[in-house]
Amino acid sequence: MEFEQILFYLFSFWFIASSLAMILSRNTAFSALFLILSFFSAASLWLLLEAEFLAIILILVYVGAVMVLFLFVIKMLDIEDSTLRAKFTGYLPIGLGVAVIVIAEMSLVLGVDQFGLDVVPQPIRHASDYSNITELAMELYTIYVYPFELAAVLLLIAIIAAITLIHRPDKRAKKQSIEEQVNTQAKDRVRLVSIAPYKKKDEQ
Amino acid sequence: MTNNFSFEINSLLVALPEIFLLSSIVIVLIIDLFLTSKFRQATYYLTQLSLMVTGILSFNLIGHPETVIFSNSFILDNMASVFKVFITGSSMVAMVYTRHYLLQHSLYRGEYFVLVMLAVLGMMVMVSGYSMLTLYMGLEILSLSLYTLIAIARNRSIAVEAALKYFVLGAIASGLLLYGISMVYGISGSINISDISAFAHDPSINSRDTLILNFGLVFLVIGIAFKLGAVPFHMWVPDVYEGAPTSVTMFLSTVPKIAALAMLVRILVDGLGSMHDYWSDLFLALSLLSISVGSVVALMQTNIKRMLAYSTISHVGFIMLGFVTGVVSGYGAAIFYVLVYVLMSLAAFGVIIILNNKGYEADQISDYKGLSKNSPWFALVMLIVMLSMAGVPPFIGFYSKFSILQEVVSAGFITVAIIAVVFAVISAYYYLKIIKFMYFDESDKDETISAPMDIKLILSINGSLILVVGLFPDRLMNISMSLL
Amino acid sequence: MLENYLPVVVFIFLGVAFGVGLTLIGWLLGPSKPNEEKNSQFECGFPAFEDSRMHFNVRYYLVAILFILFDLEVAFVFPWAVVQSGLGWFGFVVISVFLFLLVVGFIFEWKKGALEWE
Repeated sequence: MEFEQILFYLFSFWFIASSLAMILSRNTAFSALFLILSFFSAASLWLLLEAEFLAIILILVYVGAVMVLFLFVIKMLDIEDSTLRAKFTGYLPIGLGVAVIVIAEMSLVLGVDQFGLDVVPQPIRHASDYSNITELAMELYTIYVYPFELAAVLLLIAIIAAITLIHRPDKRAKKQSIEEQVNTQAKDRVRLVSIAPYKKKDEQ
Repeated sequence: MTNNFSFEINSLLVALPEIFLLSSIVIVLIIDLFLTSKFRQATYYLTQLSLMVTGILSFNLIGHPETVIFSNSFILDNMASVFKVFITGSSMVAMVYTRHYLLQHSLYRGEYFVLVMLAVLGMMVMVSGYSMLTLYMGLEILSLSLYTLIAIARNRSIAVEAALKYFVLGAIASGLLLYGISMVYGISGSINISDISAFAHDPSINSRDTLILNFGLVFLVIGIAFKLGAVPFHMWVPDVYEGAPTSVTMFLSTVPKIAALAMLVRILVDGLGSMHDYWSDLFLALSLLSISVGSVVALMQTNIKRMLAYSTISHVGFIMLGFVTGVVSGYGAAIFYVLVYVLMSLAAFGVIIILNNKGYEADQISDYKGLSKNSPWFALVMLIVMLSMAGVPPFIGFYSKFSILQEVVSAGFITVAIIAVVFAVISAYYYLKIIKFMYFDESDKDETISAPMDIKLILSINGSLILVVGLFPDRLMNISMSLL
Repeated sequence: MLENYLPVVVFIFLGVAFGVGLTLIGWLLGPSKPNEEKNSQFECGFPAFEDSRMHFNVRYYLVAILFILFDLEVAFVFPWAVVQSGLGWFGFVVISVFLFLLVVGFIFEWKKGALEWE
């Protein structure tokens, strides 16, 4: 067995094991951490496929940012384990049945008969000076320029959506404003009003 | 580090409506930030102006020879231009009602209009998408804006719940769609619709390639069926229609259907047209289920928004039936049906919005009791809409159903046509129930409903269009038939 | 291409070996004689084990989400930096439009006060 194959089986094992652990773990925080481990394993597998940019992005964006968000959400929610488990076992038979059928169908269609090495040619290994990112970038900013700019629109929507839904403009905190304090003048603070003396009518 | 890529700035002219709309989105977003509350209505007028100019720009491109730019990922043909005109036009109508609703429910915020414009941009991208990636990007731009619009009433838990349901189910559907796209890409080696079409039409295609294409096709159909809201992927429709603020329901129940239809045509007809034998069976099952479930479950609804949701599901069934026929005239009939559906749905939700009093949603069917005495004109429009939706001649809804059934019968599916007619008759019951409530029941409250002039005008035009186009349907029919 | 990553693999294995090895040595060799007094908290300290879930202010979430969006933006700009000289002016315009749209988002964010902590 080649070294690469050993790595492949090692990372695949970690990938499957951590994914299973993520689903089976009762503590949602642990699940999130197992998900990070499975992201790492997936990134390693992608690296073996020479998709280095995808691998780096998976770690940079998903592990670095999305999982932080996940953990925030988990911390924010008070989930009781028992209610979760009751639902889980209730749907288990149906879910398991559907999953088995889907897996059987998929393995029939996507099995070795269709995608084995005798049907699909083996991809060529690239030399050490080959840069995946250069190839990707040359396509991304020329041929895929339209979807690329649309991605910016999508990010813009996400910014607007996040602020519209989460941000509350009302200021509740009574914060000190030094600038305002320094610039204040007496006439802004005390207003002298001259009121003409008068008597109420019924007192006359 | 060079590739033979060339780009001509002139070619951008065919994407002028999109470019203009995106620029005005940016401008309106910035202007809205600096507006004082006294001038906040300016956002609404700027939005209407932007949508109108976008519509005019699209209108000018009708008849432009078919052009493909951005390395085969953007197409401008007559279908794209006509759909863009309808999308901008019906969005403008929806915005007129929306402003009224937002002011009454104190939901008026500049972001609302920006998000609507972004949703319109997403739909225009979908309509002009000529690669799977572009279609998907357009779909996500549209969906993300819609999720936010629904949740914009964030103090109403039912709206937040609806947004969350829509978001979770929409994300799953997007995942399925992407999985299907990846399969088609994996086997054909391209995400461009024209390349996929060339691959699928190749007579020397082997059985393995057909198998994988078929596998991907199933996921594509599921994704599209979800976005259209066909049974059994309809679970989000009633909850979202009920939970969303009525102005959002009005928008999301009408305009996106045009875009979803365009996506369907691009992927399944333009791209995988040669696989019609495979997907038409799926469509037959989906449409019959939608027509039956939509018609029967609507009978038990007491909330008019939920009822219209199920009515939409059954309309979607009819639209999909047009694609079962496998002939161009059948697809044309489906396009005609969608345009008619948008017209009817705008009027129906328009009446619901008008009946909304300050902070109160008139979404129970019993709220329509005795409407003909309190406000006879609105009741008349509702009567026209309901009769049209039920498929009563001479209203437009009759011709849309009739043309679909005609195509279905001439394609040889006589049993299917009979089943569809039976369920259409069943569905007439709940449309007539509303008419009965409006005209033959006594109202429990006797307030006259007043509405601003612009809404009255738009509603009257909309209602009379349902009648007038119903009397002279040829023109719209010819347009629909010429698009493919 | 993959041979470039060999040092990374070696590093991962060494890191795992070190982490597991040191923990194992401590666990095997270190004496462990717990009693009730040792395990209880000292004077007015916190209990050693308690539920870590507490309610966060939703504003932390907004910051996290805005961070992700600009993190993603970096992911899109990053390949551009690699080929920037090969793309010429076209590439510059493309990335400028992209960044412009995000700057608009940033202005929106700033002006709405989403970056302020009350």
